[in-house]
Order: sequence, then structure tokens, then C-alpha cells
Amino acid sequence: MARKRGRGMAACWYGIARTATVDRAAAWAEIDDGGSAKIVTGVTEIGEGILTVLAQIAAHEIGVKPEHVVIGDNDTARAPEAAHAGASRQTYMIGNVVALASREARKRLVDVMAGMWDVAAETIRTGNGEIWAENTNHRISMGEAVACAKNRGVVPIGSATFGTDTTAIADGKDGDGSGRPWQAYVFGCQVAEVEVDTVTGEVQVLAVWAAHDVGRAVNPQGVEGQIEGGIVQAIGQGLMEDYQLKDGHASTSGFAKYILPTSLDVPRVNSIIIEDPDPIGPLGVKGIGEPAMVPTIPAVMNAIYDAVGVRVFNLPATPEKILLAMREKARRETMATQAAE
Amino acid sequence: MVDVRLNATINGRKVSRDAKPHLRLLDFLRDDLNLTGNKEGCGAGECGTCSVFVDGVLMKSCLMPVAKAQGAQIDTIESLAKSGELSVLQKAFHKAGASQCGYCIPGMVMAATAALRANPFADREEIKERLGGNICRCTGYQKIFDAVELARDVQNGRVPATALLETDTADGEVIGKNVRRIDAPSKVSGRLKYAGDMTMPGMLHVQVLRSPHAHARIVSIDTSAALAIAGVESVITSADVPGKDGFGVFVHDQPIMARGKVRYVGEAIAAVAAEDALTAKRAVAAIKVVYEQLAPVFDPDEAMLQGAPVVHDYAPDNITKHIPIRVGDVEAGFAESDLVIEESYSTQAIEHAYLEPEAGLAYVDHDDVVTVVSPSQNITHHRHMLARIIDKPISKVRFIMSPVGGGFGGKEDMIYQGMLALLAMKAMRPVRLVYTREESIISTAKRHPSRTTLRMGVMRDGRIKALAMRMVCDGGAYGLSTEGVMRKAAILAAGPYNIPNVRIDTYGIYTNNTPSGAFRSFGALQTQFATESQLDIIAERLGLDPFEIRRINAMRDGATTHTKQTLGSVSLMRALDAAEQASGWEAGAPTVRGGTRGDLGHDDVRPSVTLGTRFAATGTQEAAE
Repeated sequence: MARKRGRGMAACWYGIARTATVDRAAAWAEIDDGGSAKIVTGVTEIGEGILTVLAQIAAHEIGVKPEHVVIGDNDTARAPEAAHAGASRQTYMIGNVVALASREARKRLVDVMAGMWDVAAETIRTGNGEIWAENTNHRISMGEAVACAKNRGVVPIGSATFGTDTTAIADGKDGDGSGRPWQAYVFGCQVAEVEVDTVTGEVQVLAVWAAHDVGRAVNPQGVEGQIEGGIVQAIGQGLMEDYQLKDGHASTSGFAKYILPTSLDVPRVNSIIIEDPDPIGPLGVKGIGEPAMVPTIPAVMNAIYDAVGVRVFNLPATPEKILLAMREKARRETMATQAAE
Repeated sequence: MVDVRLNATINGRKVSRDAKPHLRLLDFLRDDLNLTGNKEGCGAGECGTCSVFVDGVLMKSCLMPVAKAQGAQIDTIESLAKSGELSVLQKAFHKAGASQCGYCIPGMVMAATAALRANPFADREEIKERLGGNICRCTGYQKIFDAVELARDVQNGRVPATALLETDTADGEVIGKNVRRIDAPSKVSGRLKYAGDMTMPGMLHVQVLRSPHAHARIVSIDTSAALAIAGVESVITSADVPGKDGFGVFVHDQPIMARGKVRYVGEAIAAVAAEDALTAKRAVAAIKVVYEQLAPVFDPDEAMLQGAPVVHDYAPDNITKHIPIRVGDVEAGFAESDLVIEESYSTQAIEHAYLEPEAGLAYVDHDDVVTVVSPSQNITHHRHMLARIIDKPISKVRFIMSPVGGGFGGKEDMIYQGMLALLAMKAMRPVRLVYTREESIISTAKRHPSRTTLRMGVMRDGRIKALAMRMVCDGGAYGLSTEGVMRKAAILAAGPYNIPNVRIDTYGIYTNNTPSGAFRSFGALQTQFATESQLDIIAERLGLDPFEIRRINAMRDGATTHTKQTLGSVSLMRALDAAEQASGWEAGAPTVRGGTRGDLGHDDVRPSVTLGTRFAATGTQEAAE
């Protein structure tokens, strides 16, 4: 058989939010006329789907439908500081702070209604665009409730800040690295199945099974999207991408020379979402953007070894490197056989 | 040059206009007709986001001179969602979660539309082939294939159109449901405006002069000839910076344009704002710079040697950052070990290749607030740095994050926003800069290339006794995120395993290469590649299954990390179990047993691809045999 298959696996861990420093984010929330929600925060979407996640969180906390959440964002002069879009921190930092701000806005509204209905605030429920008091006939729309609050001079708003209990690590000259770099950690494991063409050296990654802890999946489809995209980027680094410089000049300055994974290069990704809730934040969420990439390359390299008995130590595992390694392996085996004879 | 009178039918309407003859069809559509739905991703026909229909045929509009469109019928992404009503395919992209950053999506939707027109019954493998000319950097393509299959089935009546509707949340439960992305309709229809799609009245166009040298002293910069060109409004160099120049995520070592010397090929030296981009380009070519070449250093290990060229005076050893991690006594751990394995690993520089090249607008508003609109991943930090650079209070600096067409860490650096702000202040007019793909690749951060030596000592039963790792990374010419990358790389290097003796050193080194910076997985990818490869090498030597050796060493609830932090719940064992079960893993030591495994080729594995076989199968079967 010119093509040989094999499997490999690898595990990973990762820290969520900014590393070895105090991370923080803020948000404002308002339950608006008509019962929609308005969320304002300083950083959101770079493609990962955080806008939708925030809409779901605000909807969940306030009790409206996700499509009735409006998000104002990403303007240092108009929105509270929420730091940066990176470090797998968006769902953790922004998600949690939007939840807290939403809770405060909801509390303002609930307190008004508790007074009006003469019930304990704890008996009031909200959901799906409605507000009601348990075991009573009191049930109105959120829009009507907002009108009630405004008639009593109350605008139902909330604000919140969310910070991490983290420290620098001792990384000075005689430091030992000790410290508390993150408060939330995630773990994962991936299995890769590959096919190696022993004539061309080409590797196809046919499947990846990816099990990742995300704390709590707000939008499972979005989590899968992060896992699938991360794995394919890792396959790019593992097998083909290579930014090359000669005396400081790039020889791969366009996509004709800088080779990226296309639709024909990607494996079937089978995602398994694990939910081990974060005990510190209000939602239990963690993150997935970066950790999804970490185990893929070693899993693929371990799978290539399983298939053809060569291990690539120097990325990327191009067809040329695979062929050279196979040739070297065959040469060594021949020599060993001859020596034995 | 004489303008071309172009007569064509564009999105069903007759167009008769004069166009500059050098324009590509893409420029004409985007700049002259304001049809910005289709994007420019590479300008070389490689990425496909500019794809439109020309007389019904899918074409990359960046490769087509506008004059070739004479008399043609052209349909752009804007033609698909008539009056805002999404096509079935666009609705399927929305439903399936097929758009992330959205920048490739207009072209992807066009290509998918063409695919289903060509074969309304195309299977998943054929769909993949038909989308092969379009690059997506975010999604991993899987949800895109799902979307095209969903659209195909709805169009063929195999699934009801209700399959495209929003997930039901009538039970009031919102979290944990696949609510459709709220930004998808504007992305699948091309309506979302990225920075490069935005214009402002009176806007000037910016071009940047870049260094052709890796390491050189700048003797003089003469901008007089550039300023003399009609249509040139402003030219800036580092001499125009009013405040304390310097940006970087950790160390502010990079001036917004080269100051005194250049440290890498592609570094910005001067920037021009002119009435149009072509005039700005001519002005850039007219700037005269006299350089005095300096000895460069391109290899991080050489840069660490005594006497190596110094890239930054403040770091005479060229070390940007060294991070140590120390636990126990690593030499004693090796001495106790039954087996000690040492190997070396390396990883290469890679490019983020977000489909949206850098772009931005800047203007000074009615309150004298210097405002920068760009796909920045860190507007908070950027405004702090820019305030210092332009010497203004923070209340007079405003950053707006435009829709980000892919980031992956590559848009955390304030690499061009300083030039934009300075030009807007100098010209007192809005300015816009749009990078070409080549500019984006040569001048912005890469993933840190790494060289790692890893030594691990284990007992016969698989317990790891000691781990020593030394990783040297090429940080390139400026600090950017190097310090943080080295830190994260070191903290996570030993993996989620209980190891009593650990010594880790990561070094980020200055060289005269393209700077390295933040990239998704931020150093952890490099170090864990080594550790996870080595665990399999050890497992083979000990005759242990790869899952087994990891379980033997796995951190459990309450574990202490290598930075001496006590963890709460640790989900590693759950992840190992889940991946093993889902894949139907056949246990055994990793002894090159691919040929005899019984767990290969399950239903959840894609078929392998042999290019061209599809055509052989449907066409000349005999020839293929």
C-alpha cells in the first residue's frame, strides 16, 4: 500500500484570560423601552461569535429573547474599558461582566415590580420577555414593566466590573516562576487519524476527535467553530505553512508562496464539549479560542509516526521532510540488517 | 491615460461610466460604484473573497482589468440578497454558523452559489472541491460545508425550509442553545463595513515607505520631492512625533516610524497622505533616504553570542525576555530516573493570514479628539500608547474597533494606527490606509519560531521524575508580545502533569527578522508540541499506551502547578476519557502499529482525497485505470 494510516493523540492545558497580571473588564446594561436590553462594553467581536454569546447571556440574565438584545461596543470614548480581544478571555471576562451588569439592571426592575405588586423580590421571575410573581396572577411583559419603572422615575440600568484574583509570576533573575497566573484553567485532548502517502510524502489529516473543557458552553455551535478553526490553523502550521526569510527578506510574501489550508486539506472534526464549570465567575464559563489549537500538532505528528515510523521534530512536516525521514529510516534499517548478517 | 467608457449590467442595472484604465474590476466595483460587499484579500487571485459572477461565471475580480468587463453582466454579493431578503444559501450560512470574522464569506457565498448551480445535488466531497479556490482562516471550513449541504437539501426539498429558522428558545432557556449569530446576516450579504470599506468626505489616502534593509542607520530622509507632487497633502517621519514615541504590548520599543535606524525589512520609515492612493504611491517613491548599512543578525542563537550585532541599545545581550520556572532538583530527578530521553524540536514562523489586511481611518473630530477607526484587538491599550505618542490627554484620544476580519493575535499591535493619527492631525482631514497583502505579511507580527531542547526522566512505571526544557525564540526586531509569549510558553511547557522536578527556561531574542508577536496559543503551542511528542517517544520505550502514560502523570483535582498554584477542579481525566471513547481508540503502545490497528476508518473519518479522481470516475474511467 502506497498510503498508510495511523493515529496519534495529545493532551493540553491552558490558562484563561490575561497571563500573570490582573485582568479586568466592565459593562453597562439597560432594560430599554419595549423590553429589549441594551449592553455596552469595550471589546467584543473578532469573529469568534462573542456578540451572540453576550446576547444570550444578557437575555438569560434579564429574561428577554436574544434577538431583543442590542450591543453597543468597541469605542474607547463611548464604552467602559474591557481590555483586549485575545487571551481566550472574551467569554470569561466579558461574558461574566455582562452577566453581572445585567443582573443589576434586572434587580432595579424587579425591585420596582416587587413594590408595585407587594411581593418579595425573590418571588419575581423573568424569562422569554415576561416578568411575573410566583404563585400570583401578576404577569406582564418586560416592556410593560419598563414603563412601570419609568413612571416611578426609575431607569432600569446596571453596571459591573469583573476582575481576576491573579498575580505576576516570579520571573526575575533568580525567580522560580511561582505565582498565580490564571484563576481558570482548561484541559483538552485530541486524537488524530492521518494518511501518509509513502510515494509523495503527503500527509492528509482525515479526522480529529477533540475533547475540550470550556466550563459551560453558552453556544455549542460557536464552541465547535472555535475548535474546528483552531485545529485547521494548527494543521496549517503542522504540515504546510512556513514564513521564510532570506537575509531578512520574506520569500513568502503572498498567498501563492505562503501555503494555507484549503477546503480539501481539512479533517472531519468531531468535537466533544466538556463542561467543568468555573467556580469563581458568575456563569461557570471558561474559554476555548486558543486551547483548541494546542494538542493538534503533536497529535498529528504522533499519528504520522504511527503510520510510517518517522517522527518530525522540525515543523512543518512537509512531504519533502517526510520522504527524507522515511529514506533515512530505510537506510538505517538496511544498515542494521547488514550489520546483523 | 484616457479613461475607459464602461457599459455593463451590474446587479441587474445598466451602468455607463468612465473608469481609469488601470483599475481592476474589483477596484471599479468597490471604489467607483461603492459595492464593497466583495472584499480584497490578496490581490492575486489566491483567496477568492473578491469572487463575482461575470456573465454567470465565477471570476476573481482582482485579476480582471475593468476594460474586460465591457458589455458584461456582472453580479456581486449584493445581488444575492434582494431588498435584504437573504438567499437560501445565505440563510443556511447563518443557520449553520458558517461565518466567523466574515471577511471571506462574500466570496465563499458566491463560490457556494456557483457550486450548487453547477450541481444542485453535489455531495460534500464535490462541494469541497468546488470551494477549493476560496480561503477561510477562521472556520476550518466544516460549518461552511454544513451550510452548503443544508442549502442544497432545502433547495431540493429534502429538508423543509423551517430548518433555516432560529433555534427555539420559547422555553426561556437561552444558554446552551445554538442561537444563530447575530452578526451573520450582515456578513453573508456583504453589508458589514470593514475599515477598508469605509470612506469619509474629504478623505485622503495613505501609503507607507518601508525599509529595504534589515539593519541600517538612517543618515537622512528628504521628503521635499514628495511634498512637491500635486495632490500630496502631508508627509510624516519620526521627526513629526510630538510626544514620547514607542509602542509594544510589554516593552514600548517600537517607534511608529523608524527612528535613527531600521531594524527589519518592511519597517515603516515615512508615510504620505494624498488625494488618491496612486499619487501617494508616487510620493512614497520620491522620498529619498540615505542609509548606512549595519551588520545584521538573523539567528537568535547567534544573537545571544558575545559580540553579536546589537538590535536595541537597551538590551545589549539581545535578550528581550527570559522566563525561568524552577521546581525541585532537576538533576537529582534525572539521576533517580530509569530512563532519560533528550530530543530537540523546532517550530517555524507562521503568518496569521487573517483574510482582512490591516486598514484604518483616522480623523480629528469637532472636539479635537484624535480618532482612529481600525480592526484593533486592543483599543484600550492602543489609546494609552497613542496618547503618550501624540502628547495628548487620554480624553482627546479615541479608538473605535471596526469589524475585525480575522485577528488571531496579529491585530494586537499598534503597528500603523500611530501613522494614521499623526497624518490626520497634520492634514486636519480624514485619512485612510489599506495594506496590501504583501505589506501585511512582511511588516506585521509572526508566530515566534522556536528551538527547543527537552530532557525528560521517567521511572519504568511511567512516572515522570524530571523535566528540563530550554527554548530559544526569535522575537524579531521589536518586542511586541514577546515577553508575554515567553511567559505563557514557560508556565504551560511541562503540560498538565505532576512532575516533582522541573527546570524551564524560555528566551525571546531580538534579531533583524520580521517581529514575532501574539499568535493564537501564544507560546504554549511551541512548548507543548515538544512535551506531547516526547511523551509518545517515552511511551513507546516503556511499552505504555499514550493515554496511559498521560493518565499516570495527569494533574487531578487539587493539583499543584509548576508555578506552585493550587488548582481546584481539574478536567484533564475527563478530556482523556472523552477523546479516547469518542475516537474508539484501540489501546496499545505507540510502536508504529498503524498497519495493524483495528480502529481506523470509522464513519466519523473523512475519505482521503486524490485530486482528479472525481473527474476520472465520471468521465474516462478506462484512462484512470
